[in-house]
Amino acid sequence: MTRLQPSASANGLLRRLPPEDFDRLAPDLRRVEVELLQVLIAPGETVETLYFPESGYGSVVANGGEGGTGGVEIGLIGREGLIGAAPVLLDADRTPHQTLVQQAGTMLSLPASALTEAVGRSETLRRFLLRYVHVHGLQVASTAYSNATYTIDVRLARWLLMCHDRAEGDEIRLTHDFVALMLGGQRASATIAVQTLEGNGLIRAQRGRVTIRDRARLREMANGSYGSAEAEYARLIGPS
Amino acid sequence: MPRYFFSIRCDTGPLDLAVDEEGDELPDVAAARRHARTLAQDLIARHRMSLIRDWFACTVEVTDEAGERVFTLPFADTVPDSF
Repeated sequence: MTRLQPSASANGLLRRLPPEDFDRLAPDLRRVEVELLQVLIAPGETVETLYFPESGYGSVVANGGEGGTGGVEIGLIGREGLIGAAPVLLDADRTPHQTLVQQAGTMLSLPASALTEAVGRSETLRRFLLRYVHVHGLQVASTAYSNATYTIDVRLARWLLMCHDRAEGDEIRLTHDFVALMLGGQRASATIAVQTLEGNGLIRAQRGRVTIRDRARLREMANGSYGSAEAEYARLIGPS
Repeated sequence: MPRYFFSIRCDTGPLDLAVDEEGDELPDVAAARRHARTLAQDLIARHRMSLIRDWFACTVEVTDEAGERVFTLPFADTVPDSF
C-alpha cells in the first residue's frame, strides 16, 4: 500500500496538518467509497468511525424524534471537514443527529479510538480539530439563522453555494423531493424555488441535477446567509 | 398505483408554471384532489416566497403519467370564504 502523504490529500483538514500530526492518523486511515443516502453517523448510536471526505459530502439531519415529521438538514460536511468530529472530540459518545451521504464519493475512514488517542498525544492536533468543530458549529448556527429569516428561494441559493463548495465541478445532483427535505419545505416549494433561480439565469435545472451558472449572483441572492462560516474557516483553519 | 404530477401556475409575477417532474403515487383521483388541497393550503400557510406575492393568484394543475390534465384547483378554493 502506498503511504498517504498529507500534502496530497484532497481533504482540507488532513492537507493542513503538520507531518507529525498527519503521521499519527495515517496508519489508521482507510479509503472507502460511500454511496448516496448511506448512513455514516446513526442517531443515538455510539460513534465508532469518523470520515474525512475527499469527494462527495454528507448532510447532518435533525428530525423531531419520535413522532417528528421527516428531517431537516442542519449541516453539510465535505472535503473541508471531518464527519463525526463534534461528538468524538467533544467527548460525547453519540449524537441524536444523523449524517447521511448526500453526494457519493471517496472518504478516509478513521476509528474513533484512533482519533481519541492521537488528540490525547498531540495538543496541536487537538486544538486544530477543535477549531474545525467550532467552525462547523458556526455553519449550523448560520443554517438556523437562514431558516428563521429567509424564504426558501434564498435558502436554496445558500444551499447550492454550500454544495458547490464541496462538489467536483459545477453540477449538483438532486431531486426536488430531496431539496424539500433538506430545506424544510415541500416539493412544490422546492420546484418553484429551483425555477425562480433558473428563470434568473443563476442555475440550469435538468431532471435530477442542477448546474451552477452564475456563482456571483447566487451569492447576491443568498443575501448574507452564506459566507460568514466560510470566512471563519479561512481564518481559523486556512484559506481555500 | 397511478402517479400524479402537481404543477403550480401563477398568473402574477415572473413565475409562469412550476412543472412537477417527480410526481406522487396516489390510489385514485379523489386522493389526488385531497393531496392538491393539502399542498395548496400548506403553501399558503407556511411558505413565503420572495417572488410570489399572492398565493391566491395561483392554481394547482394536476396531470397524469400520460401528461393529460386531470383537474385544476385554484388556491383560493382551498380556504373558506370567510371566518
